[in-house]
Amino acid sequence: MNAFGYLRRYWQLYALLVFPLLYFIIFKYGPMYGIVIAFKDFNFFQGINGSKWIGLDAFREVFAMGDFYKTLRNTIMLNFLDLLVSFPAPLIVAIMLYELKSAWFKKLSQTILYIPHFISWVIIGGIVYQVFGTQSGMINNIITSLGFEAVPFLTNKADWLVTYLIVGVWQSAGWGTIIYLAALTGINRELFEAADVDGAGRVRKIWSITLPSLKPTIVTLLIISLGNMIAIGFERPYVIGNTAVREYSDVLSTFVYRVGIESGQYTLATVVGLFQAVVGLLFVLGANYASKKLADQSIL
Amino acid sequence: MVQKRRHASFKKRTGQLVALSIAGSVLLAACSSNNADNGGSASATASAGSSAKTKAATLKVEVFDRGNSPTGSSITKNYLTTFVQDNFGTPNNINVQYVPVPRSEEVNKLNVLMASGTDVPDVVFTYDTPTFNRYAQQGGLTDLGELLDQYGPNLKNFLGEDTLAYGQYDGKLYALPARRSHLGKYASFIRQDWLDKLSLPMPQTTDELYATLKAFKDKDPGQTGGKVIPLGMSIAPAQYEPLIWSFIKPTSEEQRYTLTQQLGSNDFPTLLPGFKDALQFMNKLYNEKLISPDFGLDKDKTKLSQNVSSGLVGFFSEDDMNPFYADGLYATLQKNMPDAKLAAVDVYTNEEGKHPKPEYTPIGMYLMIPKSSKNAVEAIKYLDWMASGDNLFKMQNGVEGENYTLKDGTPVMNTNAAEEIKNRLYNQGDMAIISNGKQLGDADKNIEAYVVGMPQPYQEETRKALTISRSDTFKPVRFDKPIEAEAKYGTTLQDKFKEIIVKTAMVKPEQFDGTYESMMKDYLSSGGQAILDERTAAYKAMK
Repeated sequence: MNAFGYLRRYWQLYALLVFPLLYFIIFKYGPMYGIVIAFKDFNFFQGINGSKWIGLDAFREVFAMGDFYKTLRNTIMLNFLDLLVSFPAPLIVAIMLYELKSAWFKKLSQTILYIPHFISWVIIGGIVYQVFGTQSGMINNIITSLGFEAVPFLTNKADWLVTYLIVGVWQSAGWGTIIYLAALTGINRELFEAADVDGAGRVRKIWSITLPSLKPTIVTLLIISLGNMIAIGFERPYVIGNTAVREYSDVLSTFVYRVGIESGQYTLATVVGLFQAVVGLLFVLGANYASKKLADQSIL
Repeated sequence: MVQKRRHASFKKRTGQLVALSIAGSVLLAACSSNNADNGGSASATASAGSSAKTKAATLKVEVFDRGNSPTGSSITKNYLTTFVQDNFGTPNNINVQYVPVPRSEEVNKLNVLMASGTDVPDVVFTYDTPTFNRYAQQGGLTDLGELLDQYGPNLKNFLGEDTLAYGQYDGKLYALPARRSHLGKYASFIRQDWLDKLSLPMPQTTDELYATLKAFKDKDPGQTGGKVIPLGMSIAPAQYEPLIWSFIKPTSEEQRYTLTQQLGSNDFPTLLPGFKDALQFMNKLYNEKLISPDFGLDKDKTKLSQNVSSGLVGFFSEDDMNPFYADGLYATLQKNMPDAKLAAVDVYTNEEGKHPKPEYTPIGMYLMIPKSSKNAVEAIKYLDWMASGDNLFKMQNGVEGENYTLKDGTPVMNTNAAEEIKNRLYNQGDMAIISNGKQLGDADKNIEAYVVGMPQPYQEETRKALTISRSDTFKPVRFDKPIEAEAKYGTTLQDKFKEIIVKTAMVKPEQFDGTYESMMKDYLSSGGQAILDERTAAYKAMK
């Protein structure tokens, strides 16, 4: 088939591709032009073009700020802990759901698990204060009525970390199961039947059939998570964090918000954003390379 | 593309010409009609003829949207916008439009508006000093000096030299600061019924207060079941500032200038002698469980208000008249516990036996005209109109006999008026932008206007609170040119300041010194030192 015939036959598929491409061009590649702000003394009355070039001065300034290193450390720390706790959670939940026999119970559980994903972080923040507050929080009310000292879940930095992680799991674990459940439907049922015939128990089947079939999905998601190691959402640390635990809750995204949007120093904020993007890219490539070498799985 | 641009700039120029000619004709009209009783209607007839054929100019004015518009009106169309259009817009052939900006995100949204360059209102404003300084420094604002002389004589007269001085940047007038009618900030409040129950005297000093708080804690006169919060605290300035400033030692003029740190619009005492003592006192209160345990989470007083209105709090400081509004804190408290009585009290005492409190700068918002605005003349005329005759009075007080009755020159608001009538003024504070608070001639009258605006049973306490907030006050320290390091590090350091308060209060007493040292070091290295150096240099230059 020549090129013309090929195109005539498949043009509809290409037409479908136009929209995602446009999305990436308009919303992802177009704004990259703004990166030049990092190298300019940005004055928003004169626009990007009118502002003066300053070379790497802004980078020097950012790298000399104590808060930059503190927020960088916190970003990596929170993401790493999240990876330990929130990454396996949806996998475990998905396998548990998959093992459920009763269809209506499975559907009900799924719905209940998905709901938190659709609640805005601002509202979750409100709920967190009501549940974990020291003085009138639900949990502490129970603790104190049993005669124990109240636990400062939100104001002691170590306790706060636990709160942060638990809330993260609650919010994302259910939704995260979707990809795993989709992958699980692709497993050949005959494998399980054969295992039954061989007398394998439930745990054995999970270990030898379910998990290996999920391996490509797990690796892909792991690479993506590692790529996001240095990027961190704004809402969760901002909403759940507070003045008392800022030593841990202040992360790069809240730093960018404070310096860029609140203080109007767009140049410095862009520098931090660019830094995050470059390091994030290195992490993705690194993780991809490692997984190719070690497990022969990769996404690139 | 190029052609298009040229076309646009040609259009702009004609637009300016039209605006100028309208301005000229209206000015004549205004001059000729000023003697006839009150501007409005007379100039309407005079200018209607001369400018009937010219196209109406459009003046865009920013307005805060607090999401509280009553049904039937919106923030861009309500009684006051109609009042402005009828009395200023239509007679001058100007179409006045309002551009809403959410109150809680004012600075961020304004930054975006200003940066967009195309859709910027002709009159914008902010309370935030660094934002004004930044706009002025980056060359985004219209120089208002000549415009004000030419088109705003009433406005100039109304604002006065002292107020206008705050709108200067590098010797040029880039903003018209609104005039503030009442400079007092804070008062403290105590549960009188608790004192009575325990037969305790009204505390007069910080030491007596401490003893009273102890008694509240031990005897729990409110029968809260152990949930009593003797001292209500938050990390909003109204709660911590009165306490902290009372610990600051008497300072020399030089110390005041060099050691004070202005972050945002407020002066912070971080480096002043005595600050550590204040923190130590808070640490003591916290560890003896005398203040709100979660105050570090309470950025906007929400939790404090809940606690006060549910009767858990014995004593707290607040913006002077905040508790007394209809349906406000005190009203809710009394709804929950009919026997509750709140008394205004001035109690934090410094070593000289005074009750020092900061007061406001004599200004409200900075009103600015972006450089890109084509309607600077109309904008000044709008503000001048507001300052002339009784326009401001009408915008703030509504219609005589319906919204208020005059008593000794003070408008007494008719609190029993129909909702529809009261709703006319729901956003008067955000519409009458040239003034912060009511302007009736002098400070005492202005205060009285606030007092009579409160529900009857609370008026006496309101008067007391307003007297407290005005006594023993000290003025903000201002240099004649902005400190650049303050603009740069202000936001960061405000957060650090709050962190210092919260963390030093919450640590165990034996860890207090270590925590204080390390946090102060962090504060200084994050910009505090840079501000100190710049202020020291500026002080030397000033002398």
